[in-house]
Amino acid sequence: MERLSNIGNARESYRKADDEELVRASLSGDKLAFSEIVNRYRKMVARLVKGMLDDSVYAEDIGQEVFVKLYYSLPEFRGEAKLSSYIQKIAVNLTLNEIKRRKRFFSTFAQTGNNEMYEYEFADSANEEKREAKELVNKALKSLDPKFRVVVVMRMLQGYSTKETAEILDLPMGTVLSRLSRAQEQLKNILEKL
Amino acid sequence: MKPFEIKKLIIDSLDADFDTAKFPEKLELEGICYDFNEDFEEAVLKNIFGDKVLSIRESEFMSNLSLLVSRVAITGIAAIIILLISIFITEGGSFSINSLVGLGDVYNEGLIYLLGGL
Repeated sequence: MERLSNIGNARESYRKADDEELVRASLSGDKLAFSEIVNRYRKMVARLVKGMLDDSVYAEDIGQEVFVKLYYSLPEFRGEAKLSSYIQKIAVNLTLNEIKRRKRFFSTFAQTGNNEMYEYEFADSANEEKREAKELVNKALKSLDPKFRVVVVMRMLQGYSTKETAEILDLPMGTVLSRLSRAQEQLKNILEKL
Repeated sequence: MKPFEIKKLIIDSLDADFDTAKFPEKLELEGICYDFNEDFEEAVLKNIFGDKVLSIRESEFMSNLSLLVSRVAITGIAAIIILLISIFITEGGSFSINSLVGLGDVYNEGLIYLLGGL
């Protein structure tokens, strides 16, 4: 009972702790501290991964991989960038790799598209308007090329500025701006038809 | 929010100068939210620490195995030393190949008889 209350207290104190403390505690093998990192950034990773991979069931696995990779690369995290940016970079790399892998798989085994691989899950099926809104965003994102989609997800779903987007994606600012403008053009055309 | 308003929001968010900091919350209010399954956190921890438990078990098994091998080796060496001493004593203070392979007291005729079954 005392042990449980100790765990509860530790969890509560980690909830208030900043990222740096959590990283330090995780590095010393504290499971609860890492669990708090997962809890804190799961939605951020979900927005990126599910936004990029069309809310598919595989996004769940990629999400897990992001945090597993984060755990094993924590010793290399020097704290120069924000932890959130570091996680975003891992998530972007894994997601783009997954898209490439799927592209290769489908070009080899299935010529008829990959719609059957996807499974939509709506947050609130009772609310038709919200369901439609989510479907609209998913369709719009899905219609974009991954290199445009990733900048749109970073801006729209993650709320990053163009400068932050460029830093996380390791792209020159000019490239991000041109991709944003091209994505905007494409989306205008796509959304008109939806 | 009506679909045309969502469409406008999406297009606006891609303007380079548009401040999108509050965008995720705004979208979440409109039902455009993403999250993983409830057991996501548990699954991540299982992936990480479950493997670690397995690797600890593996390393424990390996260290126990090497301990076992070293004990068997020490016992074997001790047995060989005792055997050599007993041969040395029974042979009256000398060693020969024959005595080492257990042929010390065997005469040639006896050996032929033994091998030939005569």
